Amino acid sequence: MKTNKLIISVIVCLILVIASLPYITGCGADREGKTIKLGISTPSTGVAAEKGRPLEHGQKDAIAYVNAELGGVDGYQIEIVWRDNGYDAAQMSNIVRNFMDEGCVMFSTSSSAMMTASMGLANEYGFAGLAAFSSPNLYRPPQHIYGQLPDYGDDFLAFMDYYLDEIWQGSGQPKVAIHALNNSTGKGAINAARAFADEMGITILWDGAEGKAFEHKADTISEMESLTRINALNPDVLYISSTPAPTALIVKNARELNMDVVIASGHAGFTSKLVELAEEDANNVYGVFPTASWGDDVPGMAKLMEYCEANHPEDAGNGDYITGWAQSLIMMKIVETAIKNVGYDALATGDENAWAYLENEGIKKLVNYDVNGLHGPVSYTVSDNRLSKSVRVFQVQNGVIVALTDWIEAPVVQYENFDWFGQ
Amino acid sequence: MSLPCGIRNHSYAQDMAIVRTRTQWGMMLGFLVLLFTAPLYLSSYWLGVFNFIGISIIAATGLNILTGFCGQLSIGHAGFIAVGAYTSGILTTRFELPFLVGLICAGLMAGLIGIIFGLPSIRVKGFYLAITTIAAQFIIMWVIQQWDWTGGQLGMTVPFASIGGYAFRSGQSQFYLIFVITVLCVFLAKNLVRTRVGRAFIAIRDNDLAAEVMGVNLTYYKLLAFFIGCFLAGIAGSLFAHWNISLTPEQFSFKDSILYVGIIIIGGLGTSVGPILGVLFIRLLKEVLTIYLVPFLENTLTMLPSGFASGVTPMLFGLVIVLFLILEPRGIAHRWNLFKASYRLWPFSY
Repeated sequence: MKTNKLIISVIVCLILVIASLPYITGCGADREGKTIKLGISTPSTGVAAEKGRPLEHGQKDAIAYVNAELGGVDGYQIEIVWRDNGYDAAQMSNIVRNFMDEGCVMFSTSSSAMMTASMGLANEYGFAGLAAFSSPNLYRPPQHIYGQLPDYGDDFLAFMDYYLDEIWQGSGQPKVAIHALNNSTGKGAINAARAFADEMGITILWDGAEGKAFEHKADTISEMESLTRINALNPDVLYISSTPAPTALIVKNARELNMDVVIASGHAGFTSKLVELAEEDANNVYGVFPTASWGDDVPGMAKLMEYCEANHPEDAGNGDYITGWAQSLIMMKIVETAIKNVGYDALATGDENAWAYLENEGIKKLVNYDVNGLHGPVSYTVSDNRLSKSVRVFQVQNGVIVALTDWIEAPVVQYENFDWFGQ
Repeated sequence: MSLPCGIRNHSYAQDMAIVRTRTQWGMMLGFLVLLFTAPLYLSSYWLGVFNFIGISIIAATGLNILTGFCGQLSIGHAGFIAVGAYTSGILTTRFELPFLVGLICAGLMAGLIGIIFGLPSIRVKGFYLAITTIAAQFIIMWVIQQWDWTGGQLGMTVPFASIGGYAFRSGQSQFYLIFVITVLCVFLAKNLVRTRVGRAFIAIRDNDLAAEVMGVNLTYYKLLAFFIGCFLAGIAGSLFAHWNISLTPEQFSFKDSILYVGIIIIGGLGTSVGPILGVLFIRLLKEVLTIYLVPFLENTLTMLPSGFASGVTPMLFGLVIVLFLILEPRGIAHRWNLFKASYRLWPFSY
């Protein structure tokens, strides 16, 4: 009997000791094992994989860095729910359902096309989404989708401003042909051109009716035919709004045709991958990009390069890796802001209430977050769901992407006020 | 149709019945109970997967009638699904018509478009007909991309399906809506192929010259096959639109059209159960590879660079399909029939 009592006492004591361990080991221990889930979807396979992979790597590495070296966000580890969408729009709604089901507090996509395919559900349920690359259709008018960076329309306007100020020396209006990917990536530049061509004093060479640009598909293998037609119109500028592989192809085709034009690219296509694919043909191509360049002297670059070198040396020099890394930093800053405002428990449920808290007390409370200098500062402005609003103009010179300008502020455009918008 | 040991038919009605024995009735009721209680134990993600499977089964059933039973090869099925999706989307948003009207009109519109693109089937067949249906895919998608009402390349947002003021917003309610319609469509298709029309389809598939000599009106039945096949594609498109609520042209790619042909081949061409098994195999394989295998490989083979597994998925997907076609070219339905036959014979081996 005595032995039994002794054993029971020992067990009770052990239980008490184990139960009190977290309190004994000090502050912060109450956060151990507690996580916040973020949904990430990238086109790591499929026709846009040359962008998707570095974006995926950048996003995952940034979260690994924050979890490992900074102890997570406010002491809470970030858990990733990652899904490869294969650049397949039909898969996106179920991927978003998966994120909601898994208790993610928000989600991100890399491409505007994949966000376009998922925005219906996200807006319906108030589940905030952040698109690294965005087009005005995602958030004009603003709902629950946000853009990490200025959109493809902003790219076009920023480049044309630069072109008119620094390059154009002819008389009259310069003639601009747009070669656009046949989805939201191309549509952003078309929208901006349609809205501001008259105001800027440029002539857009439409492919027939106004608003119809020269188009290509993501898996195009030759654009000689469309470029021949463009060449016949004597353009001064060939502006490409597409992903790197088609952009490289168009640049190469244009060089083969000896087109005497200034070639420029929106930020979806203007990465080191373009230089790699187009080789010497990429020289002198202008481009707009919204992040710092590889190796720039900004606070976040050293750690980014360290992780890239250790985990994905193949992505070194790729601007998409920077964009992905920055996207995760922004998502974690949003979580941190929301935790400070409403506490962990409000977010931990990962349900509709948590989504609303995250959006109202996280995203909408972002003020001048510097993203460690990796791109323009991030702030939420009422009726403008673009979180960063600055871009820079670059040029490929001898195989190297060189910045030509400092940050250019991209003003918000209320496209929804144009009758043709969304059609 | 073969019967279990000791069972024989005593009337024509018994001979024609789809479900005959008590065991079959019990199994079918059990299956229906299992199916319609699925929302109780499936997570919302898997409900989403099964909702997509239900929609795909309707579309594949349509293609199976057209290609599997009538022998008219169509490689533009995703285009016909798109016709249904956008028809329903436009009717319920621009004209604010009820979902059920949109659903029926989606089927009819896709069926009519199917008849138009089926007209070449009167003169050409086989690979030549396949080329004309490829043209259908590209023409339909080009129109959708250029037309203002469809939202062009940016697509459009569609409301959730609603009947009598009840909106099917949740995954559970969508599941019931989709699977009630799926069961109806499969039942319709199963019975269709047992009718005069179905026999005409099979006769055309097996030998169109002989069918014509026997009095089968080739033009009529070929176009009817296109209408029915595309009608079901339109119904699937409408359900997809009101389930997904975002429509973009990229959701109806040429790749999907080829995938549907693959689905009915893997499932078993010209069998009623083939499209169901093919869709289950293809959709679940993709989910298993994406949800389980890729994260497993990423977490297990940590010495390899992160992200390597994402490239493994399409390779394995292709490999499994190729191996399947080599090892079981008559489709899963054949394997299923062998399985059933072995139980019918039990306990006698011969």
